[in-house]
Order: sequence, then C-alpha cells, then structure tokens
Amino acid sequence: MNKKIWAVVSREFLTRAKTKGYIIGTLMFPVILIFLFGGIFIFGRFFQPSTQHFEVIDQTGKIFPQMVEMLSDTLKNGSLKYSFTEIDATEENLENTLEELRTKVLQKVIDGFFIIPDNILTSRQVKYSARNVSNFDDLRDIERVISKSVGNIRLENLGYSPEVIRQEMYAGYISLTSYQVTEKGEISKSGVSNFLLTYLLTYLLMLFIMIYGQAVTGSVIEEKSQRITETIISSIKPIELMMGKIVGICLLGITQLTVIGSFIILLSTYGTPALVKMGVETPKLLNIIGNLQFTPVVFAFFILYFFMGFLLYATLFAAVGSMVNTTDEGQQFLTPIIFLNIIGFFIMITVAQNPDTPAAFWASLIPFFTPSVMFARIAVSHPTLPSGAILSIFTMGISIYLIISLVAKIYRVGILMYGKKPSLKEAIKWIKYK
Amino acid sequence: MAILEVKNISKSFASLKAVDDISFSIEEGDVLGVLGPNGAGKTTMIRMIMNIIVPDNGTVTLLNSTEKSTANLIGYLPEERGIYRKMKLVNVLLFLAKLKEMKMSEAKKQIDYWLKRLDLMKWKKKKIEELSKGMQQKLQFIATILHKPKLLILDEPFLGLDPINTKLIKEIIMELKANGTTIIFSTHQMESAEKLCNKIMLINKGKQILSGKIGKVKESFGKHNIHLEYGGKDDFLKESTYIKKFDNFGNYVEIQLKDDMPSQDFLKEIVPIIQIRKFEIKEPSLNDIFIETVHSHGKEDDHE
Repeated sequence: MNKKIWAVVSREFLTRAKTKGYIIGTLMFPVILIFLFGGIFIFGRFFQPSTQHFEVIDQTGKIFPQMVEMLSDTLKNGSLKYSFTEIDATEENLENTLEELRTKVLQKVIDGFFIIPDNILTSRQVKYSARNVSNFDDLRDIERVISKSVGNIRLENLGYSPEVIRQEMYAGYISLTSYQVTEKGEISKSGVSNFLLTYLLTYLLMLFIMIYGQAVTGSVIEEKSQRITETIISSIKPIELMMGKIVGICLLGITQLTVIGSFIILLSTYGTPALVKMGVETPKLLNIIGNLQFTPVVFAFFILYFFMGFLLYATLFAAVGSMVNTTDEGQQFLTPIIFLNIIGFFIMITVAQNPDTPAAFWASLIPFFTPSVMFARIAVSHPTLPSGAILSIFTMGISIYLIISLVAKIYRVGILMYGKKPSLKEAIKWIKYK
Repeated sequence: MAILEVKNISKSFASLKAVDDISFSIEEGDVLGVLGPNGAGKTTMIRMIMNIIVPDNGTVTLLNSTEKSTANLIGYLPEERGIYRKMKLVNVLLFLAKLKEMKMSEAKKQIDYWLKRLDLMKWKKKKIEELSKGMQQKLQFIATILHKPKLLILDEPFLGLDPINTKLIKEIIMELKANGTTIIFSTHQMESAEKLCNKIMLINKGKQILSGKIGKVKESFGKHNIHLEYGGKDDFLKESTYIKKFDNFGNYVEIQLKDDMPSQDFLKEIVPIIQIRKFEIKEPSLNDIFIETVHSHGKEDDHE
C-alpha cells in the first residue's frame, strides 16, 4: 500500500483511537462481560422460581397419586417445584367447583388447575386452566408425566402388576451424552455453551460491522459537509482516500474485537478455577464457561470474517456517505444495508443448529451473509472445518473486489456533489461516467 | 517549456455551458490571473485543470510528467475549502504534508517556519474549531504551499481575509513568484491581479474573452485614452476628427481616440486651439478593462 493511503489510514485510526469514548469503550467490554456473568449468577441466586401450586380434579382417581410421585423435583432452595392438591368433584357440583377454582386462580391462591376426565384412556385429553399458560417447560414436564401414568394404567389393564411396570419402565430410562466427531477423534462437548458463544461472537461481529460501517459514512459526510474533500483529493485519488478510510476504521474494530476475544480466551481458560476459588457453586454457569471453545483458530476466523465483512459492508456505507450531505439524508439508504445484515443474523441462528445442510452451505456463500453464517458454521463445527469455508474466502474476496470497483466510481463523483441528494438511479448513472 | 497547456476544454452542466472552449498555456515562472464575474466558469476551469472534473472536450497537460508525481508538485487552494474541525492544527498540517509525501523532518521544519511567519504559532496545538475564520484561511494557505510546489493554483486566495492578512499573503505570493514558482490564481480583486500577475485571462459566461501578457492587454486598451486638463472653449471636442468619444467632467475631460489615430497628431491639432495644463496618455486599470469587456460582451450576448 502506498504512503498516501497509509497517511489516511493512520489519520482515521488515530483521531478516533485517541478519543476518550473509544478507550473507555474498549475497556468497557471486559467489564460488561464480567457484569453479564455476575448478573446471571446473582439473578440465579436471588430470583429463584417459587413453588407452583396446582389443583387437580382427577375423575379417574388413579393418575393424581402418580403425578405427585413423579413430579417431586425440588428447587435449589429445597422446596418442591410443583405442589398438587386433589379436589373432589361430583357430577352435580362440578360447575360450582370449577367456578371456585377459577376464582382461586384469579385471586392467585393457586397457579392453575387440571381436569383429568374419566374417559382419559380413550379421549387422551387433559384440560389445563391458568392465568399464565406460557410456561412451556413446566407444562411439557406435566404432560409427559400424565402420559406416562396413562400408559401405566393401560399396561395394568392388560394384566401387568404396577410393580412390574414400574421396574420395567425405570430399567428402560436412558441418558444421552453428546460427542462431536472430529478428525482428531471424538470429543465430549456441551451444546449449550457452544451455541451461546457462537451467538455472542456472531452478534458482536455484525454489531461491529454496523457501528464502524456507519462511522465510515460519518467520516465521508464530514469531509463533504465541511468542504474538505477538494483539498484532500488534490493530493490523493478518491479510491485511495476511500480505501484508507475503510481500512483505518476497520482497524478500530479489529482492535476492540481482539481485546474482547483475548478476554474470552482468558475467561474460558481461567474462569472456572477462579470462580470455584471465589466459592461460586452454580454448576450451569461453571459448565458454560468451562466449555467455551474459543480457540486461537476460531479467533483467527473471527477476525478474518470481520475484516472481509467489514470491507464489503463499509464500502456500501462509504457509497452512501458520498451520495448525501447529512447523516439524516443517509438514513434512507442505510436502512436496506442494515436490513441485509439482520437477515444474515437470522439465517445464522437457524444454521448454527444445523450447520451441515445444503441450505446452510449455500446461505453461507452469499457474500452479504457469509460473515455471520459461515463464521457461525465454523464456530459450531470447530475443530472440523465446515464445507465451503475456504471457498467462501475466495467468493468474499471476489465480491469485495467487485463492490469496491463499482462503488469507487460512485464515490468519486459523489464526494464532489453538493446540494440535492441524488436518487439511486442518478447514482447508478455516475458509474458510467468516464 | 510550457508547465501547463490547456487545449479547447469545455464543460456543460445540464443546459448550462460552464466552460466553453478555453485554451491557454503558461510557462515556468508565469503568474496568471484568472478574472471574471461571479459564475463565469473560473472554478470549473480550475477544477478541470486539477482533474477533479473531467472536461467534456479538450485536454489538459500538466507539468509534462507522470501522473503520480504531479500531485506532489502542485499546491491547490480550492474555493470550497474546509478542514477537519476536530483535529489539532499541527496534526492537520502533518497529515496534508504526508499526503504530499513530504519527509516528516522537513514537514515539521516547514510547519514551524510558516506558523511563525503567519502568526499562528501559539495555536499550533489547538483544535481547528477554536480558530477564527481568518486563521483557518491562513492555515489553508500554509497547507497549500508547505511542500514547496512548482505550480500553485489558488482559487480566490483572498476570500474572507482582512486587509492586513491579504497584504501578508500577497507578500508571500510575491516571494514565491521571485523564487520561480508558477502561479495561477483566480480573483475578483483587480488591484491584486494588477500587482501580482504577468499574464491575465478574462472569462465571462464560460468564454475566454481576453488573455495575454498584462502589458500587452493594457496597451491594446490604453493607447487611445487621454486625460486632458485645459483652458478655453470646448468646441474642439465635437469638431475633432480624431475623437471617438469623450466624457467631460468640467475640470478635465477623458477622451478616447479613434483606433488608427496617433495621439501625437491629436496633440498637434489642439495645441493652437486651447491652453493645455495636462495631457496624459492613460493606461486603463484592469478594473476598467474588466468592466468594459464584460459589459460589451454582455451586450453582444443580449443581441444574440
């Protein structure tokens, strides 16, 4: 790169890196992460869920005892997760009883009530009524247990004794331990922390592209609105100016991401021992931290995809800056770019769970989605490289080259256009200027 | 050797012909003043010389050297000039020096010299936004000449400067001229042009209506203008066959002779008729030339 571009790179980098905002921002990330984990920990400690009270009308008379027996999980403070009370209701007073139950629910005496009908063996329907019916996890637990009791009753009806049934059922319980198959053999891995990390990193990657991408727009608008452009381009070609800007601002992002990345590596290496020493005994939290798979390889890909993604998006952001006179005017053009980024993020959420489907493969090769989707696939599949990873580096390279050569033409004309904001059509016309 | 050669350049914006078929060339050491009323096309022409806008027709040949080094040999002060408001003065100058690929040690030396010269030394570490408009103008000027350009292109260099600073900048331009710097500048200030230039070019409505060495231009306008103070009857003013037109101010009269009439013969004619107190062959000021030429061209255009 020539000296002139470097002059622009270092100006863009240094004028921003020396500001208090940037320095504080860079140091804040580790602090924010500490607070985040601390917050989860404190939240877990102090805001534990309390026992949920349910009343049950069991017209079969057989299922209620099994519910109580099988749903005897306790909360971390030792009290029961669910408490069930059986309500007797005859055909005659059923309506009155239901009315009473509804009142109790509304008065928050109980959380909800179940009606298990007489004919459950054939109808297989249970009615649940409550104020809040969105506690899916709890309901799935209860559903599973009632299903099991119904199954037990059907087996009893076939002549098996309850003891035999219980014994046989317990003997049939299994637990699933997951291993990831890699070229270096199989490794046991917790899915949860890996997803968490992948989401966090991809989110950071996209967020930083957006934040610093808009800084590029701002920088171009500054030169335009303060009439600096003409002075500068008497010394340097517009495309060199644009590239210097993009690279200089990109380095700001890379610096911050490196600080964050290093901190995550430190956290995953030394986090668990440190927390244990502090006397923290939240197994889930320790598990998540201990299982973070943020190796230098993932880190390198993280920076690489940020760099490429930034070049691609920031070039568009530079084009927008060159076309408008104020940040407000730019908003209209920025929205679709930001939208594109968000679509990539949503694709990433799906792909991270199924990184090896053909859809995942193709989505990760669409240039605007590559940074998020391909990086997520790499992070989730690590240490195996997903299909198309190397290919994506080439496709990104080509796309970046094409976008830059296209935008350079718009940029060259745009930075000297004062006054009316051009329509997209006019901007496309600029490309054809000699 | 021509340092800049402009051949038949034209540029239109929509229906407006901003620059219409302009050609000229300047040699090393020339100082060319580009004059013209507002909106005449001066800035558009300069921007085409600087390759900031591409002409529709015609060519610009600059310094006869490769494009890469050309930018470093030129100092350009645009009409639209601003500077990074949040940056410190010295950092702005260092940045612009780097863009001209100056050596840092040399740049620092030059910056100190010029800041002292233009009385900006105590603002060296201040942010641009703290500077007054005039100081920012001076800073811009320093940035333009810092790298000792061979060719200096100044678009309205005195815009927004007070008389003291205008004088200071003029002095520096004279110095650069003495050191052999080739200079092109556009201005409305006829006096400045008169003092600084050896060549002038007058543009109106995109057209080049007058150009050449300043002495010759003046001569072509001036040899027929006579300032006359006299005693006696003024009948001769109407009777003389030498006179094209005159303005009688009572105490004196301004006379314009017909094109092929030598002033010497006119003097002989009037000596016996009136008592002459003062007979002066007057060079017109650029101001006169400017007004007259623009005026007559304006009329021509109106007839079209």
